Amino acid sequence: MSLPMIEQEAKMLAAENYKADPDTARIYWFRDDREIRLLELSDRVPAEQDGIIHPFYFNPSPQDGLSFPSAVAVIRQEEFGKLELPEGWGDWKDAVEVRRSA
Amino acid sequence: MGWREAFIKQSRSDFDIMRKLEGDRMPYAHRLHYLQMATEKLGKGWMTKANAKEHPPASHQAFVRMLQVMKGQPHVRRQLGYNNRDHFSAYINSLLDFALAVQNLAPAVAGFTRQNPEYPWRETTNSDVIAPVDFDFPNFMSAGTRKMPDLVKLVDSLLRIAE
Repeated sequence: MSLPMIEQEAKMLAAENYKADPDTARIYWFRDDREIRLLELSDRVPAEQDGIIHPFYFNPSPQDGLSFPSAVAVIRQEEFGKLELPEGWGDWKDAVEVRRSA
Repeated sequence: MGWREAFIKQSRSDFDIMRKLEGDRMPYAHRLHYLQMATEKLGKGWMTKANAKEHPPASHQAFVRMLQVMKGQPHVRRQLGYNNRDHFSAYINSLLDFALAVQNLAPAVAGFTRQNPEYPWRETTNSDVIAPVDFDFPNFMSAGTRKMPDLVKLVDSLLRIAE
């Protein structure tokens, strides 16, 4: 029930991020039925210091079309597949790319 | 109280001390010190899930990375009073370099050879050892820049959203 809704909101939030930052190369969604989990790739951030991805956590905001909490992280492109994912995010093969809309 | 709330609360207190020092004749280093600490804890607070059992990572890079992520958060944009996405992104982008300078004031980043508001350092050009209280931090005090008051206003707003 909630996974399709989360996927829809994840795509909306990813679209917002692509538009807000043209330097974002790619965005990946990690499935979860309680939380929107996005990983952005951008070379505007420094490399992670400890080899672990650390998302930022946001509360739901239904007023803005976000009825679920969200966790958003940003890493450099070359770090994709190499860093340790946050606890509970699964494996790198679980990453689903959310493509930039035309 | 959870880790997130505690970090935000401590960040607010650091920030309030920084504001109190604005009118004092105390060395400028103390204001910068409290601003750097407030921004670091603000970033770490947002890096912590509500009700998290674990404390946030011991990173000194949370603040600028947080601002990068904030650009794409519609609820943050709305709460900061921006209707236009491009204007909000431009506003955050205009402060990123200055925010990075503040972030790099952390002594763990500056070491003993770069300017920071907490520990003495040795100038590489003439080997002088400088106490922060004797240094004017001209890059931050520069009268021509609006970056400091703009960043202070942004931090205050983000604290209000987080609280």
